[in-house]
Amino acid sequence: MKTGDRESLKPISQVPVNVQTKQPRNFWLVFTSTFITIFLAEMGDKTQLVTLLMSAESQAPWIVFIGSALALIATSLIGVSIGYWLSKKLAPETLDLSVAIVLLFITAWLISDIINL
Amino acid sequence: MITDIDWQLIGISFITVFLAEIGDKSQLAAIALGGSSNNPRAVFIGSTVALILASLLGVLAGGTVAQFLPEKLLKSLAAIGFATMALRILWSEQ
Repeated sequence: MKTGDRESLKPISQVPVNVQTKQPRNFWLVFTSTFITIFLAEMGDKTQLVTLLMSAESQAPWIVFIGSALALIATSLIGVSIGYWLSKKLAPETLDLSVAIVLLFITAWLISDIINL
Repeated sequence: MITDIDWQLIGISFITVFLAEIGDKSQLAAIALGGSSNNPRAVFIGSTVALILASLLGVLAGGTVAQFLPEKLLKSLAAIGFATMALRILWSEQ
């Protein structure tokens, strides 16, 4: 996955100053919104229960934790890479629209979880 | 200690969690957010830290995590979060 977004592809000297300064604040903005939403959605969710059950039943919960942490890194990397790859392939409007639809689909999925709880 | 790490257990937990996660909401969220934000690295780190923290809490709290967890509240907050992000993208379209 080619990390870094469109702005940072140019040498840093050519990048307009406001984009340079935007970068750190933007990182934290994106990081926190991603972290909060995914963390809240994951609490009590399937993945957490799987890890919980396996660690409870095995004598080595930390070994289970290592295995699941590696898996979570892998799936997040795959997910973000697919998203990044798609963002290069799709026209911006279709990309934004499809992302919004997927996010609304996740919202509906969460709501159905809440109802079935 | 290093030698007697149960590599089989690591492999099993990796595969189980990987398969559990692949079709899960957070994977979809990683794809959607990874595509929409101009900072995919932040999305990757945010998603990974959130997932690892959630599973860490699962390991630490064990069975009790389910009892005192206000799951309905947490999931509704998450739903609001995802809905807001979707609407922000849609409104920024105009």
